[in-house]
Amino acid sequence: MVVRIRLARFGNKHQPFYNIVVAQARSARDSKPIEVIGTFNPIPQRPTGLSDEQAITARSYKDIALDRSRAKYWLGVGAQPSDGVWRLLHMAGLIEAKKVPNKMK
Amino acid sequence: MAQRIQNSLLPSLSSSTSTTSSLSRFSNTCTSSSLLPLPQPASRSFSTSGCRQTRLRRTMFNWLEGKGAELKHHVPGELNYLTHTNKPFPLNEQYRSEPILSEALRNEIYDRVIRKKQSVRGVSVEFGVDMRRVGAVVRLVELENRMRDQGKSLALPYARAVHEMVPTTPYVEGDRIRHESINDLPVHRLTDPQIFYPVSESREFNRFDAGRAFSAAPALPHKITSEMKEQPDETIRKITQGLSPIETVGKREDEQQVLLPADARIPHPHMIVNDRNRLTIGKTEPKEVRQRYRERLAQESERDQYRKDRIQQHLERTTQKVEPENSRFEFRFRDVVVSRETTGPTGRGHLAPGRRYGIPSYDRKKGEVKIPTRVDV
Amino acid sequence: MRNRATISLKKPKVRQSWSKYNLYSLSTQRDPFFSARTFFQQKWTAKSMLRAYHGEQVSEKQWQRMFSPRARSVVPMNTFSLAEDDGSAMSAGRGSGLEKPAQTETTSEDSRKPRLHGKWKEERNTPYTHMTFAPLERRLDTAIFRAMFASSARQARQFVVHGAVTVNGKPMRHPGYLLNPGDMFQVDPERVMYATGAPKDKVERRQGRVARKKASEARAAEEAAEEAAAAEEAKEEATKEEDPTKKESPRETLKALMAQAKAIMASSKDALPAKRKQQLRGFQKAVRRVLSRSENSTVLTANLEEQFSELTTLLKAKRAETKPAKKEKKEGQEVEGQKAETVEAEAKNNESSAAESTEKSESEDAAQKKDESGAVTTQLSEAFRQAIENPEKEVDTSELTDEEFEVLRRALIQMRDNPIDSTKPYATPWRPRDYMSAFATIPRYLEVNHNICAAVYLRHPVARPGFAEVPSPFGEHLMTPAFLWYLRRR
Repeated sequence: MVVRIRLARFGNKHQPFYNIVVAQARSARDSKPIEVIGTFNPIPQRPTGLSDEQAITARSYKDIALDRSRAKYWLGVGAQPSDGVWRLLHMAGLIEAKKVPNKMK
Repeated sequence: MAQRIQNSLLPSLSSSTSTTSSLSRFSNTCTSSSLLPLPQPASRSFSTSGCRQTRLRRTMFNWLEGKGAELKHHVPGELNYLTHTNKPFPLNEQYRSEPILSEALRNEIYDRVIRKKQSVRGVSVEFGVDMRRVGAVVRLVELENRMRDQGKSLALPYARAVHEMVPTTPYVEGDRIRHESINDLPVHRLTDPQIFYPVSESREFNRFDAGRAFSAAPALPHKITSEMKEQPDETIRKITQGLSPIETVGKREDEQQVLLPADARIPHPHMIVNDRNRLTIGKTEPKEVRQRYRERLAQESERDQYRKDRIQQHLERTTQKVEPENSRFEFRFRDVVVSRETTGPTGRGHLAPGRRYGIPSYDRKKGEVKIPTRVDV
Repeated sequence: MRNRATISLKKPKVRQSWSKYNLYSLSTQRDPFFSARTFFQQKWTAKSMLRAYHGEQVSEKQWQRMFSPRARSVVPMNTFSLAEDDGSAMSAGRGSGLEKPAQTETTSEDSRKPRLHGKWKEERNTPYTHMTFAPLERRLDTAIFRAMFASSARQARQFVVHGAVTVNGKPMRHPGYLLNPGDMFQVDPERVMYATGAPKDKVERRQGRVARKKASEARAAEEAAEEAAAAEEAKEEATKEEDPTKKESPRETLKALMAQAKAIMASSKDALPAKRKQQLRGFQKAVRRVLSRSENSTVLTANLEEQFSELTTLLKAKRAETKPAKKEKKEGQEVEGQKAETVEAEAKNNESSAAESTEKSESEDAAQKKDESGAVTTQLSEAFRQAIENPEKEVDTSELTDEEFEVLRRALIQMRDNPIDSTKPYATPWRPRDYMSAFATIPRYLEVNHNICAAVYLRHPVARPGFAEVPSPFGEHLMTPAFLWYLRRR
């Protein structure tokens, strides 16, 4: 069986919040995972404590909590990240970008 | 006329003009309202029977026109309470109306902190204003300036009126201002129960020992206590500046810090040092005392800054900011730790990241509080 | 929520309100006669009386959940006495701590002189039971009432629900939001002025109606004109470059601001959030509107002297435009009252950036009023009239005494800050509502800036020796039984 690193949705209606979990690929989304290695808040947060000039140019941010060492371990033992998690892990600098097959051809 | 106002910065005219104009108005309203309590004014122009007014209503309006009339309008700079003292509530002896900061004092505090770059701690001691209040004043004046710059409408006449009604602490240059007590010691939960703690007569039992007794920590050996006694200032300084760790007692859930003496728990421990210096060498070398005080204050604020910087640095060290080219957003990766220690034996520990499994969420339940508990600045 | 906070005269209850009915019940309030009643009855009466005041809008169940038997308290420490001894003196000897200190020590002229610990104890007790309702003071609506931004807790609640309140700059619509230490809340200043100001009388209300009608007519005409103006302005913008040789006028600054806004939008197209862009666009629009219509829109300046000089220059400038105004000489009752009306138009125009649609109608109003009012025979009003009629000349202040000059200055400032404006929902010029001063008190756990109607919740209310920070009209006699009532299940 494949172990995957994927997102499990928490939060309420219109307020998504995800746990980044390591789980068996065939298990249900909301079932108890093998391990929770982080969280992902997809709702953009406004940065706080800025001056007026900074506030104009500042970007909103998405907050991610991640245990890097656990993520590395699970990748090392062959866990497969889902697409969304792959993107996040790539941004965190843990893996190469996923090669998307060009569907236009 | 203008001299009656306490607060020097407020333009004095509101008292003169508004009271005069309101007086002329007042005479109008007075005549109309005095009609009300008259025995039986006709309720409708065509009605022959008068409108009934109860005895209670009559007495109320009589009171409002008699004794209560003076409460209707305030005299600038004077308190206008039912009791003719600084207590707005006749039955509550334990509450009194305390002075607020006057405009002048508020602006002076802002000036000191922002323009003259003085430390919040120093300004707090100088004006006898709580440090939290100093911070709040800076925030509020900053917001006010911004609103003025943006040309937003302010409530100036209202502010003037309020400052005329409530007591204010004026700012007089050169005067020693004491707005409030700045060295408040919060009463700790551990000191609630009375405890019986026998001590041999030969031993000195000071505030350090009392704190240990309250938190059920074993007494310190004589060697350490005598060292502490020789250098009380240094001992306290180490604790308050975070140089020596605070001892803890108890295990796991019951673990708690040993209660510290009041010397370390008040907001301005450096004032004790200053007073001790004054007691010992103040008569002979007052200059030296002042010099030491300044040095200590500088050290204190330096230490405060250092702490702030360290928190900031730690935050920067543990977060990675990524700005992808094809996204409007920034992604911030915080480092967290997933281990046996954080998840706990049940896997439900609060230190570990993520929402919990196996714990019901009552967010749809009736009566459950859905009000946010925090709003970030 | 139905308002149960009615005030009956038969069974008077004190509420969180500034009304005269409440003042009367406060004045007639007496401690109930308890000696012939059971303990249960005492507690029941006490808590029902107190709950009519404290958090009357909060349901009993909710309040019971908030209640905490632990009251926060502090002891103000004297650093001098802490420096003097390390506490071992108190525990020395038998250590009972009951021996009274020598009386001579405490009577001293210097307040910083040491006070012995024993003295505190016998002097003042900490009123812990007065802190029974301290948890309710954390509520946003109660805090707004305590900061004197609303005339009753119910009104404060309405402000929150209607979206006039922000917490830390973000709109907050829950009156039950529990403030955390350091939270800043702000109420819309206009609402505060309405809540704390005297209400309009019949005549003023009618004036308001007329003004509103005129304004709506003017707006309709304006909209048609604006479309044309906007197109023109756009052309003008494109052709005309900024002229640095010209001296800095408000018009110039506005233009500069607009250019800045444009630059920002152009430079950081992708980085800017959509909302920002919207705001900037709105800002540009507003600037354009002001530029096209008025010559004199100034940003408010902090310094009063500056304001005065500015105001006089404005006066002149304005008259140059809207000439000629006829002046009939009439005898007025009050110098200031008259001036109030004459300067109104100018004072209003100061804030022209804010007042956009109403501007026209106001200046019309003012023109009418000018006709009615006139000069008074004193030199002061003569100078004032001069200032208005001969805008080119300097104001001839040489004839005025210092005192008169001062009055003139104050009148001008007053008119600027507190103008007559019939469109406002309260009586203008603003004055505090009746009986407000009898309730005016601001607790120490709030730091309030009334100019901007914002306050910071510094900390939770605390009790200290002889003093409890929770404002409450009830004494020990009722507080303790009420505290015991809520203590029973815990």
